[in-house]
Amino acid sequence: MTDITLNVNGEVKTASVPPETTLLKMLREDLNFTGAKIGCDVGDCGACTVLVDGLAVNACLMLAAQANGKEVLTIEGLSTLDKYHPIQKAFEDVAALQCGFCGPGMIMATKALIDQEQELTRDQIKDALSGNLCRCTGYTKIIDGVIDAYEKITGRKVPARNPRAA
Amino acid sequence: MQPFDFIQPDTIDGTITALSNHTPNVRILNGGTDYLVELKHVHQSPGVIVDISRLTGIKGISLIDEGLRIGSGVTHTEIMSNPMVKEHVPAMIDAAHVVGAVQTRNLGTIGGNLVTCVPSMDSGPTLMALDAQVTILGPNGKRQSSLQDFFVGPRKTSLNIDELLLDIIIPKENLGKPAKFIKFGLRKGQALALVNAASALWLRDGKCTDVRIALGAVAPVVIRAKKAESVLEGNKLTDNLIDEAAKVAIREAKPIDDFRASKEYRNDLIEIAVRRTLKSAMLNSK
Repeated sequence: MTDITLNVNGEVKTASVPPETTLLKMLREDLNFTGAKIGCDVGDCGACTVLVDGLAVNACLMLAAQANGKEVLTIEGLSTLDKYHPIQKAFEDVAALQCGFCGPGMIMATKALIDQEQELTRDQIKDALSGNLCRCTGYTKIIDGVIDAYEKITGRKVPARNPRAA
Repeated sequence: MQPFDFIQPDTIDGTITALSNHTPNVRILNGGTDYLVELKHVHQSPGVIVDISRLTGIKGISLIDEGLRIGSGVTHTEIMSNPMVKEHVPAMIDAAHVVGAVQTRNLGTIGGNLVTCVPSMDSGPTLMALDAQVTILGPNGKRQSSLQDFFVGPRKTSLNIDELLLDIIIPKENLGKPAKFIKFGLRKGQALALVNAASALWLRDGKCTDVRIALGAVAPVVIRAKKAESVLEGNKLTDNLIDEAAKVAIREAKPIDDFRASKEYRNDLIEIAVRRTLKSAMLNSK
C-alpha cells in the first residue's frame, strides 16, 4: 500500500491505496469524488479530466502515487449546490449538454483553458477540447458554452465565426 | 491493472540503482499516457515500476556547448511554450502540438514518445531531420546515440532495461536550420498519424545542402528518405526537383494497409508531405 496525501479542492485528503491505483479510482472510490467519470479509462475520452497543479490531465492515466502531494481540482471544487461556477452557468444558459456524462470533463478542460488568460479563437477552443469526447451534442453548443463563459469571465471577445469555416 | 511494486527515486543515480537491482522485472514510468494504457491491458505484472515523473535531472530545456538540450522528462506542453525551442527549433512546436490532446500533452513527455517507439510517433521525424542525438545513462555510464540507431523496431529501442534516456540534444550547427513538420491523421485531435514527415535544409547561394527528410508511420520505425535527400542535395530547389524527390521518397517507405488507411493512400500522403515540408522549409530559409 502507498500512503497518499493530496489537496483536493482546497482540502487535504489522505488515503492508503495499492500502487496500481489510478488517481481517478482513488478520487472516486476512496475519497468519494465521483464527479470525474470513468469513460474509456485509457485516455481517449477526457470524461475523467481534472486539474493537477492547474493542468488538465486524464485522471485515468495518472497513478495516485504520481499525484501525491499535488493540488487536484475536480468538478466538485467549482461550485456548491446553490451557486454555479460561471462556466457551469454558461453551459446551462446555452444548453451545452445533453446526457451530461462528458460534462465534468468538458468543464474542467474549459476551466484550464480560460485560466491560461490568453486570447482565444473558436478554432483554439476546439483544439483545447479535442481530448474531450461528446457523443450527444455534435459539440456546437459546447463550444458556444465555452465562448459564453470565456467572454463573461475575461471580458474579452472571441472573434465572430467565419460562416464558411468547418 | 496487475499489482506491482512502486519506487519513486529522488535522483538519477537512485533510478539507475533501482533499475539495476530489479532487472529484468522492472519498467520505467513517466507521463504514463502510453504505458499505463498498456498496463491496463496486460495480464502479467511488470514487477517493479520505477516512477521518474519527479526526477528534476531529466527536466528542463537549455543551451549547452553541444546544442539545445531537452530533458527526456520535458512534456509536450512544455516544449510548445518554450522560448528557446521557438527560437531555435520551431518545427518541434508543431510536432508537440499534434501529440494526442491537451491532457496527453500535459503528462506525456518527449522521452516517453521516443522510448515507446511506435512507428507513428510525432516527435521522431523533426528530431531525426535535425540530426538529434539522445543521451543514455546505464550502470556503466553515459552513451550517445543517433535516433537511427536508437529506433530498432516497433516498440523497440536500443535502450537496455537498466538504462535511462536522459536527454535529447539538437546539435548546435542545426539550431535555426529551416525545417517543417507535417502530420496527416484521420482527425486533427487524438489521432495517430497516417503519415508524418519533417524536412530540414540549408539554402546557400540558391542551392540546398544538408537536406534531411524524415518520415513516420510508413515503416517499422521513423526513417530517413535518403534517396530523396540525394535528389536535392547540392542542387537548386525547383518545383520540378521537389516533385521528383517527393516521388522518390515513396519508394523508400513501406507503409502498411490497415483500417485507418490503405497503402496507396499513405503513399499519396508521403508524396504530399514531402513536397509540402520541403517547400515550407525553403520558404522559411528566406
